[in-house]
Amino acid sequence: MSFFTLQFAALLAAALIFYYALPKKCGWVVLLAVSLAFYAWGGVKTIFYLLFTAGTTYASGLILGRFNRRDADEGKVRAARKKLTVAACVLLNFSVLFAVKYWDQAAGLFSLPRLSLVLPLGLSFYTFASIGYVIDCYRGKQSPEKNPLKYLLFVSFFPTVVQGPISRFGQLAPQFTAAERSADNVKRGLQTAMWGCLKKLIVANRAAVVADAVFANPENYGGAFYAIGVLFYCIQLYCDFSGGIDVARGVALTFGIDLTENFKRPIFAVSLADYWRRWHITLGTWMRDYVFYPLSFSRPMGAISRFARKHVKGKAGKVIPTAAATFVVYLLIGIWHGSSLKYIFFGLYNGAIMTASVLLAGVYSSTRNKLKINEKGAPLHFFRLVRTMAIVFVGRYFTRAPRLLAAFAMLGRTFTHPCLYQLTDGTALTFGLTAFDFAVIAAGVAVILAVEFFEERGAKILDALDRKGALVQFVFILIPLAIITAQAAFGGDAIDASSIYRQF
Amino acid sequence: MREKLIEILKDCCPDVDFETETSLIDDGILESLDIVTIVTDIMHTFGVTLSVDDLLPENFNSVDDMLRLIGSKL
Repeated sequence: MSFFTLQFAALLAAALIFYYALPKKCGWVVLLAVSLAFYAWGGVKTIFYLLFTAGTTYASGLILGRFNRRDADEGKVRAARKKLTVAACVLLNFSVLFAVKYWDQAAGLFSLPRLSLVLPLGLSFYTFASIGYVIDCYRGKQSPEKNPLKYLLFVSFFPTVVQGPISRFGQLAPQFTAAERSADNVKRGLQTAMWGCLKKLIVANRAAVVADAVFANPENYGGAFYAIGVLFYCIQLYCDFSGGIDVARGVALTFGIDLTENFKRPIFAVSLADYWRRWHITLGTWMRDYVFYPLSFSRPMGAISRFARKHVKGKAGKVIPTAAATFVVYLLIGIWHGSSLKYIFFGLYNGAIMTASVLLAGVYSSTRNKLKINEKGAPLHFFRLVRTMAIVFVGRYFTRAPRLLAAFAMLGRTFTHPCLYQLTDGTALTFGLTAFDFAVIAAGVAVILAVEFFEERGAKILDALDRKGALVQFVFILIPLAIITAQAAFGGDAIDASSIYRQF
Repeated sequence: MREKLIEILKDCCPDVDFETETSLIDDGILESLDIVTIVTDIMHTFGVTLSVDDLLPENFNSVDDMLRLIGSKL
């Protein structure tokens, strides 16, 4: 079931009625029932994958908790048993992820039989969240949840299960029983969800039409339209994914549950590292805590570090382990997106730039000093913004093009064969969008940019709205609802309830 | 020890005033890349072993926090 359907609106309404009508202690039971119904709607068979992940990680958490307690009581550390437990659990769950997501691709390369398994919704999202819980139990940072149903709610919580944010048990689970029930949360939740619906239904779905048309038949277009296709894909991707997250956060907030932020205005990033701190934040922090840090302080990395310090002089010798771990993390982020070579290259591309920026940080700094460039001046800030946008923009050729080689070809032709005449000969109106649709996209992007510009400067839009009268606040829920209803009634093909990140 | 630590920190992030900052992690002044570089430098310079479990905000929010952490490992 998608967030952007009438069925979901009906399910949410029913959930809210039961949640607020029943005593507070029953709240988590309502959420669990709704979560399972939501997930089963997408396919009863695939719920067994979710139950498998929940079952194995729940049991591992209990075993690790028992080891931790015994260690504390007896004053000794059973490191080997704990490592074996966590390794078995991680291996088991990532094997499922690999079998479902990557096996068929790998099988094709080595002429092995294909499995053709159906990809369960949100498989990577709930697998990552559950594995994070197990590792936290292993590290002793998290006490294991004893109630299997409460744990199942953490894994299957319906606002997050399909496309994140990737929650941490310690942040999310306590709220299932202690969430504050207030009309203010319901109102703010609906406002946030409506904002997300606008991004997705009004902007992303229209922008997708252009991106899909260009990438479906690239032979029909010159290089300038490849760039335009990527631009509309960037708009689609951000409005689709961040809009979906706004709905998830808004829906959770109607139950008084505060989800972790997943986007922080990535358009204002001043470096690729900054961009990844603002885009899909929960995947980045997951990678940081469960891959980057452990890898950076692992024995092999320690050996690399000692070797580098001995043989490479200056700062470069010191940062080589950081650069190597960074490269591995971004390669994994690329693979997380899919098994195709284009995603692996996307990871390598980001990893290579991040690694180079770590290794060359000293060179950049001394060059700025030599050129007497003001570190805090507006020109440098603007240059960094544009540079980051350009790097991200080029990277998106690889995630959107059908194949890796096609991405290279399209990127090359953007510069060598722009065919600029197509910009004025009416080609833009052959995608299936009218001039009105383009105007809607432009207006939508302008509004989103304006809101994010003020938020970047510290403004709290919802707080400001809170200070207005009840009528104004109500209207701010009704306007998006009216726009969405009008689109549903008259929009025709522009309605698409699916979300890009569900497939991951 | 303090001077050596500040030297390490300044080498990694020359623009930060480590003498006065007390929320290096909470305010996002030090990022994960900085943390790893600083921690590996601390391990090499002071001969201590730090692990992922030591990577808590309360251990890296200020120079004093870091000195306390190093002291506990010596």
